[in-house]
Amino acid sequence: MRDPIATATLRIMDQNDSTESAGTTLSHEDIVKVARLSRLKLDEEALEAARTDLSAILGHVARIREVDVEDVAPMPRPLDTVNRLAEDEPGPTLDRSVVLDLAPVTEGDFIAVPKVLGEGGA
Amino acid sequence: MSSEMTTTIRQEDIASVRLIIGLEIHVELSTRSKMFTRAPNPACPEFEDSPPNTLVDPLVDALPGTLPVMNRRAVEMSAKVGLALGCSIAEHAKWDRKNYAYPDLPKSYQISQYDLPLCFDGAVDIPSADGGQRRIGITRAHLEEDTGKLGHELPGGGSYAGSLVDLNRAGTPLLEIVTEPDFDCAEDVVTFARELRSLCRFLGVTEGVMQKGHMRFEPNINLVIDTNEGREYRTPVVEIKNLNSFRAVEGAIEHERTRQLEEFLETGRVMGRGMKRTRGWDDQKLVTVLQREKEDAHDYRYFPEPDLLPVEMDEAWIEAVRREIPELPIARRARYRDDYGLPEKDASSLVEDRDLCFWFEDVVTQQLEATTETSVDARQAGHEAAKLILNQLAKRANERGVLAHETGVTAAQVAQLLQLRREGTVPPQAVDRLLELAEAQPLDMGELAESNGLVVVRDEGAMEGWIEAAIESQAQAAEDVRQGKDAAVGRLVGAVMKASGGQADAKDVRARLLEKLRP
Repeated sequence: MRDPIATATLRIMDQNDSTESAGTTLSHEDIVKVARLSRLKLDEEALEAARTDLSAILGHVARIREVDVEDVAPMPRPLDTVNRLAEDEPGPTLDRSVVLDLAPVTEGDFIAVPKVLGEGGA
Repeated sequence: MSSEMTTTIRQEDIASVRLIIGLEIHVELSTRSKMFTRAPNPACPEFEDSPPNTLVDPLVDALPGTLPVMNRRAVEMSAKVGLALGCSIAEHAKWDRKNYAYPDLPKSYQISQYDLPLCFDGAVDIPSADGGQRRIGITRAHLEEDTGKLGHELPGGGSYAGSLVDLNRAGTPLLEIVTEPDFDCAEDVVTFARELRSLCRFLGVTEGVMQKGHMRFEPNINLVIDTNEGREYRTPVVEIKNLNSFRAVEGAIEHERTRQLEEFLETGRVMGRGMKRTRGWDDQKLVTVLQREKEDAHDYRYFPEPDLLPVEMDEAWIEAVRREIPELPIARRARYRDDYGLPEKDASSLVEDRDLCFWFEDVVTQQLEATTETSVDARQAGHEAAKLILNQLAKRANERGVLAHETGVTAAQVAQLLQLRREGTVPPQAVDRLLELAEAQPLDMGELAESNGLVVVRDEGAMEGWIEAAIESQAQAAEDVRQGKDAAVGRLVGAVMKASGGQADAKDVRARLLEKLRP
């Protein structure tokens, strides 16, 4: 559970860095926001634990950020390989009963979820 | 979050109001399988009617251990559209993860392209409402995956208190095209939207059925307001989500023009950071309505997608894609005007539907390739084919609610019919009957005309007899014609036609009658 939060938090810190001085301590507000975006329901104790852990991680990252990479091209992955492509041939699907069995609640042929307002993020 | 900037301007202070519109278009690509997995794609006609949640595989359902692999065809289709829009194709394009937790994508993120899109920097010229040409810049075209669908209606009626998820569409390849804010009126946006749909259909990258959501339009709209004192104000940008008809695009833009001006006069709010709003279109009330605030871009926490490799299209690959691009609608219309002498309206009607257009060209080619005594040049073949297809055939098709190429009449039959007409083998009044016969029977038109007694009678003896009989029975009319009253010949022609059972060519009969009465 920690990794996605950490990744998310790094982006938040990126934003903050541009407006404020680069801090390595997350506020309570920051951690509540990250939890909300990730749809995680954390109690106060868990929030505080996450805040402390993530602040420590960010502290480490802050040190890495001190390295001068001005003229170094970003390397998002360690492989030089490109273009791993699949041919456009339809393959197998899951039986619908399997898909529906994996969902906590279903209604007819559909997965049922609590009412969500808005258009989604895409 | 934003520094609220306000001002007070009254209606009478305003010198002019201009619209500024940019457009985002989502195009569902009609590949057979999905963008990053091989589950079948519902935007492909083969699978469009699949029951809910049957186009789901472990990757679509985000089961542990699954990894995405990109669809070669989807990449090529996107590059094709990019090239047709005059874009450059990126030497290096990568994938990014756009995070958002929502039940329409089980992964809780959408794979998209953030800073390195596949296609960028293009332009398209469209005929503008002001009479001239307008160049619309294409900022970028990037690939991503579509989401599943959320519904609220139970099958068989009744509404469900929550949301019902159908994951069939989740993972369908989606090409997002973004224009520069180069439009200043709704008409031009609609012209562009129609042109783009037509172009994508000619490229064969989408079925382009608007009602099915194959193309969705999202205009970004604001106003530039100039005052009498020479000051300029810009209203906050509003993005209208998910419009899936040209009428909705036009209606939403027109409504925003009025609404934003009223809002500006009331609140004085102008464009600023964090001021962008998202609205939807109410098709019943014909108004735009405020939607959930768009999350700021950084809330999506984009980061490079670790599960996918970058795409690098080299020259050879791009060239191979370029060779697949057929003649595009704008060029085709120009050719129909110049080479076939067709009016703009007819040229547009033929190009409006890709399949109709290809069928029309087939009719032209078949005429030119047929070895017959009466030769025909391209101009005549094109012109006559267009006239027949857009008039008699379209009329028959309309009555049945199909397009001219869908009546059952084959391109070969139309070509044969045109040839028969040129030779004078069948009279003009037989055309409709022949089309009717051809709808049911894929036989040679010559044979159909023969077996149904629709061939012009060339029996000189019989013709001579009918003419004699007509002159005798319509003596007064015959006398009038002898005296120089041409109008009277009609009654004689009618009598001959009747006697021939409609098998004579009226024009030919008329000429013969005049020849006989006024030698």
